[in-house]
Amino acid sequence: MKRRVSKLIALALAVTTTAVFAGCGSTASTEVKDEAPATEATAETEEVAADTASEPIEISYATFMVGTHASAAAETEVIEAFNKQYEGKIKVVVEELPTDDAFVEKMEVLASSKSLPDVLIGKNGIRELAIANGQAVDLKPYLDEDAEWMKYVGEGAMNYNMTDDGKVYSISNQRQNVGYFYNKEMFEAAGIEPAKTWDEFMTNCQTLKDAGFTPLALMTGENAWTTNLWLAAMVGTANDDGNKFMNTSYPDTYNTPEFIDALGKIQVMLKDYTTADAIGAIYSNAANNFEQGQVAMIANGPWMCPDFSDETKSVAGFADKVGVALYPNDGLISQFEVGYILCTADKSEAEQQAALEFLKFKTGAYAQGVFLEKAGVLPLTDNVEITDEYKAANPLIAKTIELAGQAKYTFGTLDNNAYPAVIEEFAKWYPSLAYDEITAEDLASYLSAANDASK
Amino acid sequence: MKNNRKWIVLFLLPGILLFAFIFLATLVILFGSSFTDWTIGKELSFVGLKNYINIFTEDAGFITAIKNTFIWILLQSTIHVVIGVTVALMLSRKRWYSNAVRTIFFIPNVISSAALGMLFLCTMNPQYGLLNQLISKITGEPCTTNWFLGSNSAFWTVTMTWLPYAGLVTILVMAEMSSISEDVYEAAKIDGATPLQTDFHIVLPLMRNIIGTCVVLAATSMLQKLDIIMMTTSGGPGNKTMNLPMYVYETVFTYKKFGKANAEGIVLIAVGIVCLKVIRKAFKMDEED
Repeated sequence: MKRRVSKLIALALAVTTTAVFAGCGSTASTEVKDEAPATEATAETEEVAADTASEPIEISYATFMVGTHASAAAETEVIEAFNKQYEGKIKVVVEELPTDDAFVEKMEVLASSKSLPDVLIGKNGIRELAIANGQAVDLKPYLDEDAEWMKYVGEGAMNYNMTDDGKVYSISNQRQNVGYFYNKEMFEAAGIEPAKTWDEFMTNCQTLKDAGFTPLALMTGENAWTTNLWLAAMVGTANDDGNKFMNTSYPDTYNTPEFIDALGKIQVMLKDYTTADAIGAIYSNAANNFEQGQVAMIANGPWMCPDFSDETKSVAGFADKVGVALYPNDGLISQFEVGYILCTADKSEAEQQAALEFLKFKTGAYAQGVFLEKAGVLPLTDNVEITDEYKAANPLIAKTIELAGQAKYTFGTLDNNAYPAVIEEFAKWYPSLAYDEITAEDLASYLSAANDASK
Repeated sequence: MKNNRKWIVLFLLPGILLFAFIFLATLVILFGSSFTDWTIGKELSFVGLKNYINIFTEDAGFITAIKNTFIWILLQSTIHVVIGVTVALMLSRKRWYSNAVRTIFFIPNVISSAALGMLFLCTMNPQYGLLNQLISKITGEPCTTNWFLGSNSAFWTVTMTWLPYAGLVTILVMAEMSSISEDVYEAAKIDGATPLQTDFHIVLPLMRNIIGTCVVLAATSMLQKLDIIMMTTSGGPGNKTMNLPMYVYETVFTYKKFGKANAEGIVLIAVGIVCLKVIRKAFKMDEED
């Protein structure tokens, strides 16, 4: 009897272990449950709610705008506002990923098993994967039938993400105007002004170095963001061919004279004009070097502005020391983000409608306003008003908007225009470029090879 | 007996099911799909040996990865194990410091690889890292060596993040040493053997099986090394610190070529099986003492 009981206990333990292992495979996610401001739900949502009786429809949403991310506060406010507005009808279940990289990697895995969340940002090729696996929904018909939504999205953002066959699989919630920030005190001490040409820019770097300042906050880790903004600017302002190249999605080759010349300049910048930790550094290292007053220039967008007056990130009074400028040759990165995709092609009509409501909310006037206010993110159209009061309180953002009108060359970022594999190659080979182990021509050919392999 | 057989089957069933669904099914899919051009959003089609031919003839990165993996297997199964066994022999002398040293030596083994990666990354930061600061203090010259991403230092810096930390080997060997009868040591002492002679001629031969096991563990750990490389160099600069697991990861997540990645995975498994066979033969692990 005793033996039999022991065997039964052992069997129960074995079964429990199996169940525990199975349980480990389930998805962990966090929910946003806080109260939201009282506003009215739309008629479509009322219909959705009527279909689903008392239980709210749950839609899944993944985000990397959490923790110390510059847009974390805005993201939380928008999600909370949505859940409040649609309380009892739609509930957004949020999965938080700690970094951009973690987000992209997780979404790539989910895309391969056709289980992407209902709504997510389609950056770094995720949108293309969602289109390929059949989860992405064409948003063009919805934009056409909702004039109010379209008013705040605008033709520019819609056309930016339109495919050759006239479909729109993603909607941005921000316009990006990216120049570079500089430390006015260091410029003044070195006796220089923002450069008008690239030759003058390189001379300025040397002048700053001679005056005892480190000129540039560069990085080669992650997507080499701050370094590649300079690279994009050099190519995009080189001449008309270079500008066309930087306005082309997935170009045929990187073996172009403008690109190779720009990589040559980047090599000099990495070797002579940046911090010792730039090789292998991630964005936070580069940002920290600038915000702590260690370097004179960083290429980045206006979403960085709130950090300049945040004393947990920047030295006290730093915001007053920062200026913003166009790239040499009057260049400015001006683009729309890839934005949000709707991955509900295989879901029920009610779920599709609920997810669409959330996507509209995330890209609508309210969300654009919150992101402008809290994260310094520029709205898609002029229909979201940027008040004089806001401009007075945020002079750098106001200046960026003003500079946009003076730009001779506008172009996109490499992150938006290149395959993810190409971007990975930068992180892989920039150290070798900086240490003179490969040439600019070599790097251009490695990028072209990765480009070919991605087609 | 018949009744017992029923219970044996019942007890084994959860384990067999787990193995079948988690490992066996995965292996079958892995092997089968390595002969296809599997990627996202495209119809799966059979490509025969194309993936295998491609990785060995057209993929310089894969060849570098396989070469690095073999070097690391060799280093880990020799130097790493020698360090672990040497420390075990030293600690077996039971001096006043033995317990403290054993604990300290094992610390790197209880820290997660991700945390260890961050620790090394910070210690070897070219600008603010402890190592460069120390070198600067000693030499009086500013040192900004980029240990992890300099082309001459990267491979050996990554190697040093795991090679010396042989706490597991030490613990396993010490556990086996405790099973040696005191009579054996006493007999050696009566015969006039020095402690070193006892170690080399008595203890080590008796440790053959456990040392073989340690070599297997050390070698196969190099076939799983991904986390520290991801945290520190991601296989760079270029492919200088690329190994097989990292290359498979890159093929999957950067290029989304699952068929090719699975062919690489099969090669990885084959390398593991070959290593296992060679080590077992070298240590005569299948033979009775």
